[in-house]
Amino acid sequence: MRPTPQRSAWLVGYGLLSPALALMAVMLVAPLLAMVVLSFWTQQGFEIDRSFTLANYFALVEPSSEPIVWMGIPIPLKYPVPAILLGKSILMSLAVTIAVIAMAYPMAYFLAFRVQRNKALWLVLLTIPFWTSYLLRVFAWKIVLGFNGAINSGLKSIGVIAEPLSFLLYNPLAVIITLVHAWIAFTVLPIYVSLEKIDRSLLEAATDLGDSKWRRFLRVTLPLSAPGTIGAALLVFIPTVGDYVTPTLVGGPGGTMIGNLIQELFLRQNNAPLGAAVAIVMMLVIGLLVLIFLWLIGFHKLRSRVG
Amino acid sequence: MQRIRFIDRMASGKISRRTMLRQAGAFGVGLMALPRLPQAAEVLTCLEWAGYDAPDYFKSYVGKHGGAPNFSIFSGEEDALAKVLAGFKADVMHPCNYSVGRFVNAKVAAEIDTSKLSNWKDVFPALQTANGVVMDGKVVMAPADWGNSSIAYRPDLVDADFAKNESWGIFFDDKYAGKVSMLDNEVAIAIGMMVGGESYEKAVWETGDKLATAAKEWGAKTVKNSRFLWNDPSELQQALASGEVVAAYAWNDVYKNLKREGVPISYARPKEGYFTWFCGLTLLNTGKADPALAYDFIDAWLSPETGKTLIEGSGYGHANIKAFEIADKQAVADMGITDPAEHMKNGTLFIQVSDAVQTEWNKTWGDLKALKQ
Repeated sequence: MRPTPQRSAWLVGYGLLSPALALMAVMLVAPLLAMVVLSFWTQQGFEIDRSFTLANYFALVEPSSEPIVWMGIPIPLKYPVPAILLGKSILMSLAVTIAVIAMAYPMAYFLAFRVQRNKALWLVLLTIPFWTSYLLRVFAWKIVLGFNGAINSGLKSIGVIAEPLSFLLYNPLAVIITLVHAWIAFTVLPIYVSLEKIDRSLLEAATDLGDSKWRRFLRVTLPLSAPGTIGAALLVFIPTVGDYVTPTLVGGPGGTMIGNLIQELFLRQNNAPLGAAVAIVMMLVIGLLVLIFLWLIGFHKLRSRVG
Repeated sequence: MQRIRFIDRMASGKISRRTMLRQAGAFGVGLMALPRLPQAAEVLTCLEWAGYDAPDYFKSYVGKHGGAPNFSIFSGEEDALAKVLAGFKADVMHPCNYSVGRFVNAKVAAEIDTSKLSNWKDVFPALQTANGVVMDGKVVMAPADWGNSSIAYRPDLVDADFAKNESWGIFFDDKYAGKVSMLDNEVAIAIGMMVGGESYEKAVWETGDKLATAAKEWGAKTVKNSRFLWNDPSELQQALASGEVVAAYAWNDVYKNLKREGVPISYARPKEGYFTWFCGLTLLNTGKADPALAYDFIDAWLSPETGKTLIEGSGYGHANIKAFEIADKQAVADMGITDPAEHMKNGTLFIQVSDAVQTEWNKTWGDLKALKQ
């Protein structure tokens, strides 16, 4: 019996996907499920109590009558650390995302509309910073921003400052700068692709109908490149919220993010179930934020318009 | 070309479920039939402090087995313990007198048969029976290195008064905000309480409201004033050398290394007291390697040659009496005290608290760091 066309398409799809699906099931879904299960257990000294409880989740929202004031904001929670760090991480990631898009968009625009020859070469040039490891790049920023680093010794040698500036390193700003640099090349490509796909005759039509260059950009180019730009923004926002290495190396105690807390809970505080609960809540909050964001901008309509 | 045809057919959707299963089955059978790679004997895995993974510390092990064991570097014993409890299969751990009990209580430490250690007979008798080496009548740690924790500071960069009146108070003094570096460890809160007049032995047992108040009053302050909380002695060393940090909680080696580099550096005798500790090797029951390897490694650490390296290189003491006989005379003289029992008596020996108290302190310190503004 020959397979019906519909069935064969189904089979081809899953056949081609199967290695990836199998890998996802083993490497992603199974550990995630283990985390979910773990978060319903509790740590008792060195042992894990395997009876089902919501205690870990309750601990994250348990109210307290004496609010802890953090950055001038009273937080009425008994264990306010995860809530504070999650909020802080989200704000830091938002700053990173906005900065990355603001820098990557002009780069992608230039590549798509101005570069005529050797486009491939330009794309390769963009990826050069990625020929070294992520860790090495973070350390490089530590050297650039450090006490005897490039910026401080440069400013000192031209006589602008007498004492090295200490606010460059070990704070949230240093984390934001490093993350922006680390993620920028990932965002240029999707934006570039969506700009490249724009039908040039639409731009001509806009000009013919009397739009200025600026209005043409706002009314044609920007909306048509929105899916790529939004995709790029999510690509940066989602992983940076939970970043752990960068704040560890350049953040100092002031630049701590939620990823550091999760690591601390799993290791030093030896409370893996609570760490798992924090990780799951983080994932849910990020997911929720992304959904709200997509709903607000009407992503579905946007996609169908671009086709 | 069977393979390419198969992929083509799959891509165009011309493969039936049966063919697919048959091919998958053939692949599986083929995989099983492949000759197995010969499995090497398990390599020894050691949990070590940064820097102690240098082969100079276990020369005889390298000589006998032709190479170093695998190392996993930790920044504090609690990290190492959590790693072991999470399933990391280590054979040997390097805890200290105040932390070895955590490993015993967690049931991951094994008793050491000292008759298998050729250097055991030369270990200072006081250390052979010290609290922490022996627990419940069993030897659980082979003592190796001993030293101090105090303040290393740049006499050229701190106020001249400080040298005359050395005090842990520098970590809580806003004048030095952003210019000091505390160890990333909960002991910082106890140090604060000592500055406030409490004794170390009483401070470390505080819990509940008293601990919470001390954390707010002292802990938060030193976290805020620290340029960074250090985990890695080499990072601290660089910061002290450049003057980024002018005073820091430090072990003997940081002081010794900076001195050797010609950096102006002093090692304080704070009025609240300086700390002493001794560390050693503990056999873990989680490992996969042959225990004989672990004994060889521990024995190498107890050798007088390792002691010589420690004394000359880092300014630490060693558990082997003979180490002091073969080490450079000047280095031994620089140490001042060469008897570990005497050494412990002169300073404040770190002590071990109960698991419940330790857990509370771990959490308090973690929260403090996270909430730095």
